Amino acid sequence: MTSARPAAPPAELQLLLIGIGGQGIQLIGKTLAQAATNTGKHAMLAADYGGEMRGGPSNASVVIGTEPLRSLPILPSATAAIVASHKFAGPVPQRLREGGLLLRNSSVVDSGAGREHHRVVEVPATAMATELGAPQASGFILLGAFNRLTGLVPEAELVTAMTALLPPYRAQHATKNAEALSAGAAAVAGQEAPR
Amino acid sequence: MNTAVAKPSMQLLEGATAIAESAILAGCRFFAGYPISPFTPLLEHMSRALPENGGVCINAESEIEGANMALGAGATGAMAATGSCGQGLALMQETIAEAALNETPMVVFNLARNQQDYFQATRGGGWGDYRTIALAPKDIPEAVEHTQLLFHLSRRYRAPTLLYGDPLLAQTRVGVHLRRIEFDELPPQDWALDGTGGGTGESRQIWTWAMGKATNPGLGPDGHWQQVAAKFDRIAELEQRSEQRYAEDADTLVVSFGSAAKFIEHVVEELRAEGHRIGWFRPISLWPFPGPALAGATAGIKRVLVFELNAGQMLEDVRQYARDRDAIRFIGGVSIHESGLSYGPLLDAPEIRARILAAIAEDSTRSTS
Amino acid sequence: MTQELRIVPTDRPPADGKARKVADFRPSLMLGEHGLCPGCGEPVALRILLETLQDLGIVNNSIGVVGHGCYGSFVRIMDVDVLQCLHGRAPSCATGIKRMRPQTAVFTMQGDGDMVNEGLQEVLHTAARGENVTAILLNNGVFGDTGGQQTATTVLGQRTKTSIEGRDPGLHGHPIPVADLVASLDGVGYVARGAVGTAGSIARTKRMIRAAFESQLAGEGFSLVEILTMCPTGWFVGAPQGPDYLAESMEQVFPLGDLRARPKPSGAGA
Ligand SMILES: Cc1ncc(C[n+]2csc(CCOP(=O)(O)OP(=O)(O)O)c2C)c(N)n1
Ligand code: SF4
Ligand SMILES: [Mg+2]
Repeated sequence: MTSARPAAPPAELQLLLIGIGGQGIQLIGKTLAQAATNTGKHAMLAADYGGEMRGGPSNASVVIGTEPLRSLPILPSATAAIVASHKFAGPVPQRLREGGLLLRNSSVVDSGAGREHHRVVEVPATAMATELGAPQASGFILLGAFNRLTGLVPEAELVTAMTALLPPYRAQHATKNAEALSAGAAAVAGQEAPR
Repeated sequence: MNTAVAKPSMQLLEGATAIAESAILAGCRFFAGYPISPFTPLLEHMSRALPENGGVCINAESEIEGANMALGAGATGAMAATGSCGQGLALMQETIAEAALNETPMVVFNLARNQQDYFQATRGGGWGDYRTIALAPKDIPEAVEHTQLLFHLSRRYRAPTLLYGDPLLAQTRVGVHLRRIEFDELPPQDWALDGTGGGTGESRQIWTWAMGKATNPGLGPDGHWQQVAAKFDRIAELEQRSEQRYAEDADTLVVSFGSAAKFIEHVVEELRAEGHRIGWFRPISLWPFPGPALAGATAGIKRVLVFELNAGQMLEDVRQYARDRDAIRFIGGVSIHESGLSYGPLLDAPEIRARILAAIAEDSTRSTS
Repeated sequence: MTQELRIVPTDRPPADGKARKVADFRPSLMLGEHGLCPGCGEPVALRILLETLQDLGIVNNSIGVVGHGCYGSFVRIMDVDVLQCLHGRAPSCATGIKRMRPQTAVFTMQGDGDMVNEGLQEVLHTAARGENVTAILLNNGVFGDTGGQQTATTVLGQRTKTSIEGRDPGLHGHPIPVADLVASLDGVGYVARGAVGTAGSIARTKRMIRAAFESQLAGEGFSLVEILTMCPTGWFVGAPQGPDYLAESMEQVFPLGDLRARPKPSGAGA
């Protein structure tokens, strides 16, 4: 009745997504988890319940690994975080592990969110999305940047997953979202973690 | 991270969807339910997927109607199911009891909001000497397996069976491999109503009172209900399921079920790595409760900690079977998200860890004073 | 000399012991005697229902769903596949059965307490969904089985055990004409109201039951035949007074006839 367990479980990427409704947090979480699944990885996406209305908190967590996952659906700690909105950055400083990657939307998040021992990268996602003429796509700017920083999946996989996930009445956003993914990746070029 | 092997058969699915797909793989051809969070996505998915698989899904006008539709479909020998969360299952109790007593197979999905339906799942609120096989998976892959097992058990024993899930199982998306699980062959369904019995003098009847027909009397309530009770006694012996770890080498054993048990496993691993002599025990079948296994696991244990997200319901079953009743401490509690629709802050590894450590510390101060 | 007429006493068996039944009026689908009260209208309704299944040749392709009331005991004597269901829930159970066995004729048998009190929403929704099943309502205006209490169809002024001075709208509300409600819904193929108080009404009601099953077999949607039945015990009248009482009270409030004709005339050639 007892299941065997390897001594040291392989590392899993544990990402916290922190934002407010309307920023597309759930959609970028789904996009990342789906792209990871499409490339043969194990993925989990746990949405935070509560308001998904515009302006309310909208949080999610994504776990990705190469083996069946052991992470809990409510993460006690995380290896990375994307903070899209300053309003609800609450759990990040406590839960993000030392050395963890903290990707901040510097257009709206003040630099107080996060601590010295995190690896902080800033992207002015809201401003960039407005410049692209796609204010709804700021989340994809952050996702594009995050994926470039971590080298998680080929960027094309994000585009494929995003396009498939868009409901028909939002299909017209696909092109701009794809541009946002590329713009985000370009914005952090050269800052990739040494591998 | 780029070394992944392509596993095209793995799909990223929301738990409710994975459960629905698993039900269809098991042969489910009828589903009826009434929307309520977090069960709704199961109903929505069934309404899309069942017709594509030759089945029927009805958005019933109430839980009472949904459950009775499932009972009717089950009476024809079709694999049928209904579901809701605890609030809706409250309305279905009469039907679940009826199906148990008239021996109609059906599966009931409780995608609950929390763990406060343990008594409902294990005691039930219908009348009569009936029980309901109730399985509580700890995560989505297990829920997918349990779903198929429940259809099988429901058929094998001609009894309603219940899956006790929660928002984490219903709403989380994970990569799952869906496949049909093969079980032992089932007994023939010679009892199922197909309409062909009319005029033969041998027409069939499904009836809780089992009085039979004038020319072919049944057992009647006395004989029938004794037989049903004996069947549940048999199930109670044969269908206990549980899992445990480190019990043989522990001072402290934490007992928990469902999603909560997944958190307990995580915290126990952490504490063991730090040198604590601690283990865990998880009832997988809430009914039949794996009492003998728990009695075995608690032999020699100094403290038995019970963690569940309610005011102490499984606690009663643990009290009945733990070797030393005085060793039991309750470290769970009611904890509800402010929306009322899910768990509150207690279902969190750091909080659980603190409670376990506090219980251990309290015991040691008590024993040294 | 006029011949004296011999008067045969009928209140006791003939002294010569030679009396025997010359004909069995029991349809062959009845497996035994019913145990209901003398003068009860429900066994009459059962008989014409079973005869109709035979007339239509669907005896071995029918499933009945029977609710809770005095008629509940019919499951022991009707030679038809039957699910005895919970009080009020027959339409939902019938739905599940029909959806899984669309080629089978599926019918419910419910009383007024069962259908109109406990299960009113069931019948309305099942009708509005257009479920292709036939509901037979045995309406006697009381809970017969539990001893004659007021139901949702008890007519105003009627004395029952829970309206002992007569049903008073100020105290007890008004009766619900369920068949009229059902007839007003889309999804319905045929609705009629008959009775079993007289030979004529029995014959007409049997034709209604036939039309209802024909409607089901033609896939026209939900069909309902409400049958007003005598309950001398629950009405506190003698068995012989039942039919007259029925005509004077219930039939005045619930007029007989087709309430919703079939979309196409049935048996057009006949
Ligand atoms: C849930 C439930 N409540 C109450 C009863 C008790 N009960 C049995 S028969 C009956 C009344 C049936 O009345 P009706 O349907 O009009 O049938 P009748 O006896 O008049 O033919 C009642 C209330 C029951 N069986 N189940
Ligand atoms: S109580 Fe009424 S309905 Fe019941 S058997 Fe007697 S007469 Fe018939
Ligand atoms: Mg009645």
